[in-house]
Amino acid sequence: MRRGGPGARDRILERVARATGSRARHPHPGRLRTDTVTDPVATFVKRFTSQGGEVVTPDPHRTPGDWLTGFIAGLDGDVKGVAAGADVPAALQPGTPAAAPADAGAGISVAWGAVAETGSLILPSTGTRSVQLLPPVHIVWLPAGRVFARLENALLEMRPELPAAIGVHSGPSRSADIGRTLVTGVHGPGRCIAVWLRGRRTDP
Amino acid sequence: MKKRIGEYAARSRMTVRREPSVREAVTGAALSFDGKRRRAYGEVDVEAWRRWAEGVKNHLLTHLEDYLAEAEARLEANGARVHWARDAAEAREIVLSLASDCSAGSVVKGKSMLTEEVDLNPALERAGIEVHETDLGEYILQLLDEPPSHIVGPAIHKSLEQVRELFEERLGTTPGSGPDDLAQAARKVLRDAFMRADMGITGANFLVAETGTVALIENEGNIRLTTSLPRVHVALVGIEKLLPRMRDLAGFLQLTTRAATGQSIGCFVSLIQGPSIRPGDDGPEEVHVVLVDNGRTDALLHEHAWEALRCVRCGACLNSCPVYRQTGGHAYGWVYSGPIGSILGPGLLGLHEAMPLPFASSLCGACGDACPVRIPIPELLLAWREEAQRRGLTPWNERIALAGLARMAERPGLYRVAGKFGTRLGATALARKLPMLGEWSRDRVLPRPSPRTFREMWHGGIE
Repeated sequence: MRRGGPGARDRILERVARATGSRARHPHPGRLRTDTVTDPVATFVKRFTSQGGEVVTPDPHRTPGDWLTGFIAGLDGDVKGVAAGADVPAALQPGTPAAAPADAGAGISVAWGAVAETGSLILPSTGTRSVQLLPPVHIVWLPAGRVFARLENALLEMRPELPAAIGVHSGPSRSADIGRTLVTGVHGPGRCIAVWLRGRRTDP
Repeated sequence: MKKRIGEYAARSRMTVRREPSVREAVTGAALSFDGKRRRAYGEVDVEAWRRWAEGVKNHLLTHLEDYLAEAEARLEANGARVHWARDAAEAREIVLSLASDCSAGSVVKGKSMLTEEVDLNPALERAGIEVHETDLGEYILQLLDEPPSHIVGPAIHKSLEQVRELFEERLGTTPGSGPDDLAQAARKVLRDAFMRADMGITGANFLVAETGTVALIENEGNIRLTTSLPRVHVALVGIEKLLPRMRDLAGFLQLTTRAATGQSIGCFVSLIQGPSIRPGDDGPEEVHVVLVDNGRTDALLHEHAWEALRCVRCGACLNSCPVYRQTGGHAYGWVYSGPIGSILGPGLLGLHEAMPLPFASSLCGACGDACPVRIPIPELLLAWREEAQRRGLTPWNERIALAGLARMAERPGLYRVAGKFGTRLGATALARKLPMLGEWSRDRVLPRPSPRTFREMWHGGIE
């Protein structure tokens, strides 16, 4: 049911129409032309790491699950349990014991893609939001062929089938609200690690 | 927050004289933000970006009724519910009624200037609902019962020592804790609040009409948690916050962050289309969008106030403003401070209510140069000043002084005598004893005038 005072919607729209009717209508200026990104992968790595993100290439001689188990065992802080998003295939999950997102030492997701110009990972809500947000470390499989040069390209590609929500993560959680000193891991993950996923090339 | 705009002169004077730590903290933070913005602007063809953004917002504001209808239809199709609030009271009633529907006992909030504008927190608390501000800066201010003093960095007026003392007293942190330990103490308290909350409340940076996307920019992750964990998410959105297309959003997300903090994009951006419907998505079951007018249609109808509605709330004009940097935001006595507050105030509240904000500026022009959507802030400040003068809203002594000046300027003989008198006046101490000039010169040091008037120099031959 819609809330609000009686006729609030109509009254607001009527006043808006009166205002726009009294003024020349401005045309839309079209697309914003941003700089060309010549090497999206290199630009993504540069941007994402400069924002505190980490990019890792797994050992190609091991299966992704095996490699991830070893990688997690080597993380600081002795990760005892991990939580994986609902859309992470079994082959991409580690052998580490599973834990609820609120108790896990690391969360595992698969990115829909990445954006070079902003150094961002794109995470749809079908990948379980609490896994993307609650554990102190977020490990994200990134399909190597899905690095988009520009944010606009990625959003337009997603547009026909938008999930309920999208998280665009461009590094670890951070704040400078206390004495202008940068601290990480304030609410969301303090580490955000992108792991290249080869062999699933679907070039944007 | 209670509006105390009329006390601007007295409160700014008091801040500068009695709270030097505010000036020090605000100046440091604002100059740091401003430096980062300049660097980030320098990395792109910023004039092209600003002209484009101005164009998109002008297009939106001159087609707003169409885009509002499109956004509403799209959101409803996505499964979200749309509500309309004409004023602050209606916005509060809508949120209270939604909270009552889901029997909310506890609410988590993302930073939102609009919820400050409509005074939402006191209304929720009166209804017996626990409210947790989750942005670290907002959380500090909630503990202190203070309003934000800056659009982007709400607690920039607080020093590390002040936060340390506060957390020691309220959260039991150990004396001498560093920022990392203090942030972890807040994280612990707020993590518990996130896990218990029945409802998450946010504002919105943008609402894309084409897709019904509520877009939120942040660095901490608290907004992502606020919009993901509770069963119900309510977003309050000013009607001017729309963007026509998804394509426009890509540009605005980047330009806004470059202007606000100098980043190429916020660490986290949430793009919310509606409630969770697919398996695997543990997000909210209900998403409500409250479209708020609260003076925006008044501004839209005004001949020049409408241009201020392009504002994306980046705070760049505050950071660049030498007047704001002396006092911080509290002196302005209203939710929006600094240059943008001084033109939004008259537009949203009416000029009478917003006096003397249009005069709280040196008109140096830095704000207009910093604004990512090219709002001509200095020109709008002047337009409001002229309107204030016309409507007799300026102080009586100033009106008489200006009328006297105008008369004098029209009479060469009188002007010559006054000019000669002016060269002898010199000392600030003397000016302070004179009627009218006394008030004006109380907080200013007058420069020593030339010993000869311009006319005398002209007749004597200027080198």
